[in-house]
Formats: sequence, structure tokens, C-alpha cells
Amino acid sequence: MVQNVQAVQDVRIVGELPGGLHGLNDLNKAKPLVEIQGVSKSFYKTVKESTTEVKALADVSLSIRENEFVSIIGPSGCGKTTLLKMIDGLIPYDSGKIIIDGKQVTAPGPDRAVVFQAFALLPWRTVLANVEFSLELRRLPKENRTNIARDYLKRVGLADFENHYPHELSGGMQQRAGLARALAVNPSILLMDEPFGAVDAQTRQLLQEELLELWQRERKTVIFITHSMDEAVYLSDRVVVMTPRPGKVAEILDVPLPRPRVSEEVRRDAKFVDLTNYIWESLKKAMENHH
Amino acid sequence: MNSRFGTNVLSILSLAVLWEVTGRAMDSTLIPPLSQIGAAWWKLLSSGKLLANLSMSLTTLAIGFCLAVLVGVVLGLLMGRFRAVEHFLDLYVNALMSAPTTAFVPVLILWFGLGIESRIAVVFLFAVFVIIINTMTGVKQVDTILVEMARSFGAREREIFFKIMLPAALPAIMAGLRLGIGRAVKGMVTAEMLLTLTGIGAMIMQYGSAFATDSLFAVILTILLIALLTMKAVQWLDRRLTGWKAEIAIE
Repeated sequence: MVQNVQAVQDVRIVGELPGGLHGLNDLNKAKPLVEIQGVSKSFYKTVKESTTEVKALADVSLSIRENEFVSIIGPSGCGKTTLLKMIDGLIPYDSGKIIIDGKQVTAPGPDRAVVFQAFALLPWRTVLANVEFSLELRRLPKENRTNIARDYLKRVGLADFENHYPHELSGGMQQRAGLARALAVNPSILLMDEPFGAVDAQTRQLLQEELLELWQRERKTVIFITHSMDEAVYLSDRVVVMTPRPGKVAEILDVPLPRPRVSEEVRRDAKFVDLTNYIWESLKKAMENHH
Repeated sequence: MNSRFGTNVLSILSLAVLWEVTGRAMDSTLIPPLSQIGAAWWKLLSSGKLLANLSMSLTTLAIGFCLAVLVGVVLGLLMGRFRAVEHFLDLYVNALMSAPTTAFVPVLILWFGLGIESRIAVVFLFAVFVIIINTMTGVKQVDTILVEMARSFGAREREIFFKIMLPAALPAIMAGLRLGIGRAVKGMVTAEMLLTLTGIGAMIMQYGSAFATDSLFAVILTILLIALLTMKAVQWLDRRLTGWKAEIAIE
């Protein structure tokens, strides 16, 4: 029932969609895995005994299909990260529902893993021990932990760096370790919170390509928070555009680019350029309406 | 590293030469030449007097400091982890941290008598508060992102405490120990001079009142040496436990 909801709440029409952008792919047939239904969230700030309510998210609804790659894009402070943390079960929501595979989210679970913006690696552990950390918490025996961690380090290209400490690695390599740690627990849903926001532009593009390659092989549902429009378009099946605070879903756009996507080709594709521009307009409109 | 060691040696040598020259030039008991102090030191050492007193002093230091580490780290961890414990205790910790610990000596004599227990108590009181405060600060400054990460991967409270909080706070705890050992040495000497004349403190009082300045300086230099060596020992332990941090500092 929710498959074809293209613009859910508070739709803003921002002009004509560029031609051909609505060519839906076969993902539409997959069943919804993550259902976000009218979720709202407020924070309370207390300054000198007067408490003010800050509405972070207002009535957000979104449905994400199994094995889908969805990006959520929006201006700073629109509650994207808050939404991701609520999907992970790290923070509670005030109203509405988040349902994953038929069950309401109340706490973090083994079906989800997060890749953090600031990497969140333990500085006192080697890269290998960092990847083992997630498996340790899942109570895997030591021998299995090491084997699995090594396997994933190999997949992200860090096999030769397992004995290095995080501070000895570049930002891009640290995030590869963060990705390996998340993948190691074999989650069905990968939650990525601006994972490439803290690395330089070249590394960023490289990491995007590597992520797509991994995703193509592993086939996971990915929810990807980003600031970057071309990153969102390049990676995703669908892009969710959010409004400034309180964050609402402004628009949900299909990305009709075929896969596998080769970075250089895709970025020159007219559809890629059109869609990126369209998202830019959409974000701009959302911000203007806000003020 | 090597150039630093060289500069250290140069510094000690030039001070020694300056001292020797000044001492000989003054020709007074107030500043005996270093060679004379060395001779006195050797006499104290070979007679066994220094070592006997030293072992007594160091026993006090070791017991008092270990107790301070034990209590300080446990209380600090609890105060850092639980708001309620912090609010319950921080008044006393802050007050006692800045209060002159020497003022408590008479009370300690009343409570513990004039034996080693009192001296251990003084060493303990000198060292414990700085360890508590450093440990607490260390726990409170743990990066919340790391805690969030652990929670996200399903960590329970126990695991967050032992796998995140404790290792993350370790550099701050070790800094507390470094400050603590310095204070403990002060406490040791203070106790031996103010409480019962024992150990190395007694030697200071004895030689001081007898104007045996060469022996007095020999004992004082010994105390400086102890302060330096205990500090080095803690630093060594620090590097072993938090090598990952030391490497960052070198960079």
C-alpha cells in the first residue's frame, strides 16, 4: 500500500520534474522493510530555568523497501541524524511509529548497524580489535570474531592495516574500518550518518564507489544521510528531501539511473545532472518557504 | 629524546659544579660543598642508617599511596558515572582537595595514635583527592559518540563501563596518579616530621637541629631522588597502559 507514495507529507511542488525521472525500477515490487509512520520528535532546552521546546521532526512518514538504497538529504539541523538514531533505536520518538520487519523499534537490534560520521573508533584498540568490537558485543567466540573481522577488513581494503591504531590512519581509512565494523555483524539494514562528510573530496568519491560495489555484492537496505546532492543521486534508488527544522519530508524522488553505476559516466549523464539540479531547487524552495 | 637526556645531564652537572664552587668559596656550614654532602651521603648509606629509615618511609608511602589509588579510582569512577554519587560527595572532595591536609594531622593522631597507621593516613589524604577528581573528570569527558556507538551495537551498561568508560578515562586516571604520587611523597615526609620522628623525616629534623648540614642535604637530595623515581615509575606505567595516547602526544 505504501509503495507508490512519492510525496507523503507537506508536499511542495517545485516545478516540473525533468523528463523521464519517473521511470521506476523493479525495486517497487519489493516489500517495505522499514516503515516510518507520522513520527515526531521534540527536544527540550533549558536555559536559566526556562525550558523551550525545539521541534526536531514533525510528522515524518517514509517507507523503505528491502535492499533499497535510500538517501535522506536536507539542510543542517533538519533532524536527519535524529531520524536515523530513532530508526536505530538509540533515541525514542514522541509520537508515530517506526516499524522494522513488522516489529516496532524500541531499542537497537542485531538487524541494524550504524556507520558514524565521526567514525567513532576506539582509539585504544587496533583496527582489527575495533572491527571485532561489534562482534564482541554480539557474544561471538574470539576465534570467529577475528576471522570475520579479518574478512571484512579485506573487503574494505584494510587487510594490511589491522594492527594499526585509528590515529595512524587517514580519515578515509578510518571510515573504511567503521564500515567494516558495521558490516561484520551482518545487519540487514545499514544506517549511515553522513559517513563521508569528514573526508576530502577525492577520498569521498572513492569511498562512494567502494560502498556501491560492496552494496551490489552484499545487498543490504541502506539508509544514507547526506548533505551532498550528487552523493545522494549517485548512490541511491530514492532520495528523500527534507525541510529545515522541524524536519518534514518535502519530496521523495526516484533515481532512474541504471546500475551498476560507473562514477565518471553517471556523473556526466543528463539525468544525473537534471536530478541533482532538481534536488537543489527543491532544497532551496524548502528553505525559502521556511523563512 | 637523546638531546633531552643530554640537556638534563648538562643541567645537573652545571648545578653540581656551581654548588661545589660556591660551597668551597663560602667555606661555611650553611652551604657545604657537594663533595662533602656526597661523603656524608656515603657514610649514611654504608652505616645502613639511610636504608633502614628509607625502608620505613617507603613502606608508609607504598601502603598509603596504594590505598589512595584504590579508593580514589573507585570513588572517582562512581562519581563520574553516577550524578547522584557525584552530588553526594563532590562538596567534601572539593573542600578536602584544597584544604591544607597538614591541618588534619592532630585529628589523625587522636584517631590512629602515633604508629604507622597515622602516617599511612596522612599519605593517603595527601594523595587521594587529586586521584578522585582526575578519575571523575576522565569518566565525564568520555566521548559520548563512543558510548552511543557501543549502545548501537547492543552494549549493556556493564560493557559500556568496562569497554568504553574505563579505557577512555585511563589517561586521566594516570594523570591523577602522577599528581598523586608527588603529593604522597610530600605527605610521607610531612607525617614523619610532624607526627612521630621516624624514617627519613626524622633524619631531616635531627640533622637540621644539629647543624649537620652535609647530612641534612644528603637526606634532602635522597628525598628528591625518591620523588623523581616514583614519578618516573608512574610515567612508565602510564606509557605501558596508554601507549595509544602517548603516540598521539609524540606526533
